[in-house]
Amino acid sequence: MNSKSNLISKFIVVVLVLSVMVQTALADTLPYVTYNFDYWEDVVYTPAAYVPDGSITGDSLGLDAPLGAIYDIFVSPEDKTIYLCDYTNNCIVVVDGKDYSLITVIDEFYNSETGSTDTLLNPQGVYFSDSGYLYVCDTGNHRLLYFEKQDKDFVYAGHLESSMIKSDILPENYAFEPLKVCVDSAERIYIINLNEFQGILQLERDGTFNGYFGTINVNISLWDKFWKTISTQAQRSKGSMYVPTEYTGIDIDDDGFLYASYLDTTGMQAVMRLNSKGGDVIRKGANENVGGDIVGTGAAINLYCGTNKIQDVVYCGEGMYSILDNLRGRIFTYDSEGNLLYIYGGMGAQDGTFSSPRSIEANGSQRLVCDINRNEVYIFSPTEYGRLINEAVACRYDGDESQAVEKWSEVLVLNENFEQAYIGIGKAYLNSGDYKTAMDYLSLGMSRSYYSIAYKRFRNELLKDNFNWIFGTILVLLVGILGFRFYKKVKNRKYDDD
Amino acid sequence: MKDLFSAEKWKYVFYCVSHPSDGFYEVRHRERGSVAIAWVMILLFGISYTINRLCASFIVNDTDPRSVDTLMEIEGVLLLFLLLSIANWSVTCLLNGEGRLKDIMTIMGYSMTPCVLCFIPATIVSQFVAQNEEVFYNIIIWLSVAYSIIIMLIGIMIIHNYTLGKTLITILLTFFALLVILFVIMMVYSLVGQVITFFQSVYLELYFR
Repeated sequence: MNSKSNLISKFIVVVLVLSVMVQTALADTLPYVTYNFDYWEDVVYTPAAYVPDGSITGDSLGLDAPLGAIYDIFVSPEDKTIYLCDYTNNCIVVVDGKDYSLITVIDEFYNSETGSTDTLLNPQGVYFSDSGYLYVCDTGNHRLLYFEKQDKDFVYAGHLESSMIKSDILPENYAFEPLKVCVDSAERIYIINLNEFQGILQLERDGTFNGYFGTINVNISLWDKFWKTISTQAQRSKGSMYVPTEYTGIDIDDDGFLYASYLDTTGMQAVMRLNSKGGDVIRKGANENVGGDIVGTGAAINLYCGTNKIQDVVYCGEGMYSILDNLRGRIFTYDSEGNLLYIYGGMGAQDGTFSSPRSIEANGSQRLVCDINRNEVYIFSPTEYGRLINEAVACRYDGDESQAVEKWSEVLVLNENFEQAYIGIGKAYLNSGDYKTAMDYLSLGMSRSYYSIAYKRFRNELLKDNFNWIFGTILVLLVGILGFRFYKKVKNRKYDDD
Repeated sequence: MKDLFSAEKWKYVFYCVSHPSDGFYEVRHRERGSVAIAWVMILLFGISYTINRLCASFIVNDTDPRSVDTLMEIEGVLLLFLLLSIANWSVTCLLNGEGRLKDIMTIMGYSMTPCVLCFIPATIVSQFVAQNEEVFYNIIIWLSVAYSIIIMLIGIMIIHNYTLGKTLITILLTFFALLVILFVIMMVYSLVGQVITFFQSVYLELYFR
């Protein structure tokens, strides 16, 4: 019953906080609403985890012309160099990630194969590998370019085009139009190609095609299946085809797992975590949803619920990853267990809102988002709330439970409705053996599975501690009953004898 | 009303639950049942049902406690009971059923007894179950519901002097009758509403003129 009264008090707090939030949101300068979903799939307004903190523009970099449409960003994890892929100006802008100052612009380069100066045409993707090579999706020229980094210069080091791909599966004249590129530690290249439904292309540097990597399942409804069985061949050939959706963005984490986002129609999963065999090993949280907004039927259906168009994914470190939504302009951040941590961003014309967001990257704790309709890259910085959540998740990921409890408690001061914080504290108490406290926190966090673990251990402990009492009582009772019966029997026999 | 304070009548509820055929036969032919007790049983069922929804542990309970309105749910249960009785009566009247409305209400109320007896203990049990142990809770709930349905079926069969097949058909027809009643109520409600607005507007026209 304690958990019930806690729930009621929690509910009262929800109402109070909500009523306060509505007022503060009006006075706030934040251009978007920040929220999360609770166990009941209700929208719960939260403090902002990330706020807009300036932007990278042509002006701020000291360029003569403004930036064009930035289609892709990449931040090299070692030296925090930012590579911006400028689609309209046909160049790669290299920016220092520490102070956002210009390093260089790659627009013309000496092509050692043709012996002449070469240019890019509508590049759409960029990646800088651990071994010091810059990969550029030169989409307009139907090729992938490699540059080797030599001090501050980038020297042409080869390219890959359709005729160079060695494969039995892919047709001659394969329409090679790479959109996004990603490279793992073994220098295998992962490419999202335009209009490729089969999966991500996995290529070697020399053009050997290793195969398709990761496939998206097609969801055919029962109704469609029914129509398919009764329709004729001629009807079927004129009907729409059931093809998987396309991948939209890729990123790779420290352990070599590939994060790939795709356009999802069910609203349940929009990102995959692919292992080296191309199998999806993503972990899902309690609500089984890693597809952004939940598919709810609440009143806020169009504002906060329904399928998103996930455009890109970024691995943020410590098991966390963010996905970028093109439909409502949201950025959803999940932890390694698939729990939704915070949501920020929105559509609009103010600073920090988008019109058509395309790519997201993590620069340390900051997030960079580019929009193809705006000539700038937005920078988002964590608030205290966002920082605390990031740190708490990191502590948990590293196994530092006591530190995590501290961080989560601080998060709870800022947002009392954050179920993940209660679960985080509960798990820590569970590990340390304080099952009663763990139960209280886990029931507040509405975690059935972890609450059950805590409760079972608590019950076992209780039984073990009181085993003597319980067993003793049962023994005394048994002996008593048997003795009484025996006594009665003896007594009766006596009377019978008389 | 005085049935409510008759120990013999209350004892007979439990006789009906344990001997449904004999018990319900005497409800029909020897006036051993009581409509007042049936209503009390339904009320108790409404209360235990809403307590179960509200207080069952979150391990087994998928209901959002914030969405439970106790009074509304009890009202709903009572209304559904009334509608079902009337619907069943209106159908069986036409199909040579021997039961009177009073008998139908009595057996429906009496056959809720297993649910009344089991829902609150199940709610208490739910506080002591972990995940994977929900079956202890579910078994109590489902057995009581199943037993209630079975004795209700036997009761309808006995009081109307029907075969099982005919009982099942009348139950199906009862649900249709229920829909018809609801439809008529809705229609009357909206028509009366229109008439009221008509007179209201006539009055307003005259008043402002």
